[in-house]
Amino acid sequence: MPEPTNRPIERGWKRHLLVMAALVGIFAVSAAYKLGFLGYSLADIMPRTRYDVALEMRFDGHDDDASVTTFLPMSDSHQTISDEESSSPGLHLTTHSRGGNRIANWSGVNIPAGARIRHSFAVLARAVHFQLDPKLEVPGSYPASVVPYLKPEKDIQVDAAEIRQRLTEIGADQGSLVARLDAIFRATSAMPQRPFKGVTDALTALRLGEASCNGKSRLFVALSRATGIPARLVGGLIMQSGVRRVSHQWAEAYVGGHWVPFDATNKHFATLPEHYLTLYYGDEVLYRHTKDINFDYRYVVETMLVPSPKAKASFHVFNIWAAFERLGLSFTLLRTLLMLPIGALVVVLLRNVVGTPTYGTFLPALIAAAASETGALWGTLGLIVVVVVVAFGRMLLVRLELLHSPTLAILLAGVAVSLITITMIADQLGLHRLTRISLFPIAVVAITSERFYLSLAEQGVATALKHLGGTFAVVFACYIVMSSPALQVLVIGFPEVLLVVVALNIYLGRWVGVRLSEYRRFRQLLLARAKT
Amino acid sequence: MSALAELRRVLTRLAVRRDALVGINRRNVTLVYRHNPRRYYPLADDKLLTKERLAAAGVPTPRTLAQCDGLYAISAALEILAAHDDFVIKPAGASGGAGIIAVVERVAAGRWRTAGGKDIGVAQIQRHLAEVIFGVYAKDIQDRAFIEERILPHPFFDELWNEGLCDVRVLTLESRPLMAMIRVPTRRSQGRANLHQGGLGLAVDLETGHTFRAWSGHDTLRTHPETGAALLGREVPGWRDVLEVATRAAAALPLGYLGVDVVIDRRRGPMVLEVNARPGLEIQNVNGTGLGPALAAVPA
Repeated sequence: MPEPTNRPIERGWKRHLLVMAALVGIFAVSAAYKLGFLGYSLADIMPRTRYDVALEMRFDGHDDDASVTTFLPMSDSHQTISDEESSSPGLHLTTHSRGGNRIANWSGVNIPAGARIRHSFAVLARAVHFQLDPKLEVPGSYPASVVPYLKPEKDIQVDAAEIRQRLTEIGADQGSLVARLDAIFRATSAMPQRPFKGVTDALTALRLGEASCNGKSRLFVALSRATGIPARLVGGLIMQSGVRRVSHQWAEAYVGGHWVPFDATNKHFATLPEHYLTLYYGDEVLYRHTKDINFDYRYVVETMLVPSPKAKASFHVFNIWAAFERLGLSFTLLRTLLMLPIGALVVVLLRNVVGTPTYGTFLPALIAAAASETGALWGTLGLIVVVVVVAFGRMLLVRLELLHSPTLAILLAGVAVSLITITMIADQLGLHRLTRISLFPIAVVAITSERFYLSLAEQGVATALKHLGGTFAVVFACYIVMSSPALQVLVIGFPEVLLVVVALNIYLGRWVGVRLSEYRRFRQLLLARAKT
Repeated sequence: MSALAELRRVLTRLAVRRDALVGINRRNVTLVYRHNPRRYYPLADDKLLTKERLAAAGVPTPRTLAQCDGLYAISAALEILAAHDDFVIKPAGASGGAGIIAVVERVAAGRWRTAGGKDIGVAQIQRHLAEVIFGVYAKDIQDRAFIEERILPHPFFDELWNEGLCDVRVLTLESRPLMAMIRVPTRRSQGRANLHQGGLGLAVDLETGHTFRAWSGHDTLRTHPETGAALLGREVPGWRDVLEVATRAAAALPLGYLGVDVVIDRRRGPMVLEVNARPGLEIQNVNGTGLGPALAAVPA
């Protein structure tokens, strides 16, 4: 039996071990100091969900005046609205506040058929939950600003005898404030759900014994007001990825000086879930528009994980994040810079341990960084288009027998045109994410095309495709690691993590084990029954 | 219980063989980086530089008939070729057999026939030499061309394959042979002996010079898949001399880990064709064992 000669680490590695230990040691001491004495918080490293909401409206003007009015969200303790962008060719946007709501109006003259309005914004929200004091009594009087929320309205028939009677039946006419709200909440949330889109008033909901969200909410508000608790309707959107054509309504009751949310439809008691977007307060109509314009609207919601703003606030020593903001450099650039070494480590692992063939060492990490603007799926699609353009361009150009560099320059022109074409087509198809493909750094795309071109020319189609497949696989792995917001925030708060990355690379640089792909290559040698 | 014991036996065997295997990581760190200083790579990568070193050390190599360091030298080379019936044109800096033209006979004055059966004239040779010098076949932007006498393979090799050149690859570490194989071209490999281009590998026992295993790139063989020639149990003629030439060539170069390619001419005996400073690992598949034990036998 041959002596085992294979060690995972090559001889003379004590020196390496020392360097590695020093690197990890510096990291550990520095990180511990930051956590222990500088008040860095690891809890805030977990990313938040950001909702990118686009309100898309479409209508047919008759070459005449047209006007659309709706509510736009405002920032409050539950939700933070940012990055608002509006595009409405031919229409003028005005906004004003009224009754605590933000009202937007688009109007124009000579509006043709097929007019479009797109209003997009980003939402960072947090769930709100109120602990209600069970001993709280219903107050005898309220501030003047709250008093109107006790009065009847057209669809909230507070004074109707049937409302009063139901109040007594469910025992909500007496007891503590919370006991009454509890009884009302239980009575309304127990009603069967009715998939009805139109308006249901409180009394109708009560008589039918079943209702949609707006009927239940109106009944909740009517019952609350009837028992002396100010209450109001809230209109908004449940933010879930995809296209949403239905708005949602819930209620708020005035408890101990706060407006406390209650959603009888989805059974949220004194709670506003994170994915609820408040658009307006009161019994309002979400859209008002000129008649007979075939008006249609939808909300397109995309979710993505983003770093928590709290984490940034806690990183106060050598705060590169804040420095980049001061300098007007984008967060994307910062995270790309810091995540590249980590992406490269993933490439090293896959190349040297797994044995995946790739174009270059850093290229997969660079492509992954580029794809962070578009998401992995669209990024991959974009790159495939580029590769196809290069392959076909080469087929066409090869007959002209041009020199290498001019050939590549021509192909690069093709790549640039194809990126722009993808953006245009994506715009037509409404694929908003894919339009970001133009943000692909042209240098990365150019290098990728050149590598693929050389590989096609020198190693043939089969090898080129194999390496391309390997590159895509590694890009995907890099993307998963590099686009993790938690890891990004960790590296930004603790850049010394890169010392550990260096230590790992030293280890991998001396790792002389058999690559996974070599188990396949030498499988006969390894598995043959008898030695010949 | 016996199934478990069997599994353990298989896994142990796998581990032992795995430990004997040299993968790319181990080759690079422990063999190439440690034994082959990068500055000496040109001595292996440039076939003319290799030949100079080997000639100085008295290691036999095919005779160089003419050499073209630039376009100016082409006409002089063509004059020399006019007197020869057969010869081989090679780029100094190409690998994998790229840019090599073997001329096997003269059909008329200034017209020859190549090993591939094509006719070739002075003008075509002139153009090919120019292409070589312009670096068409090399990694660099320019190269040198040279013309060698054609090897007449020993009948031993003709029996294996007679449409191209077989050679013996001897893997050496610090001038000691580690493993050896005969590389046999096939039609699929287009007459080239490289294993990754479809050639066959025959493992040669270092002690006896007998072939004991044949490898097609994915399977073991007994006969040549195209000629039907038996591949196993053949004795390489003058095996001791082959090994001696290979080890002397390795000793003449400041590169510790080498693949030395030896051919046996029927008149002049073993000669070194070229050397490789980053020899491939497929020789392990050909021999059916890892390089580990052979490496362990070389004193550090």
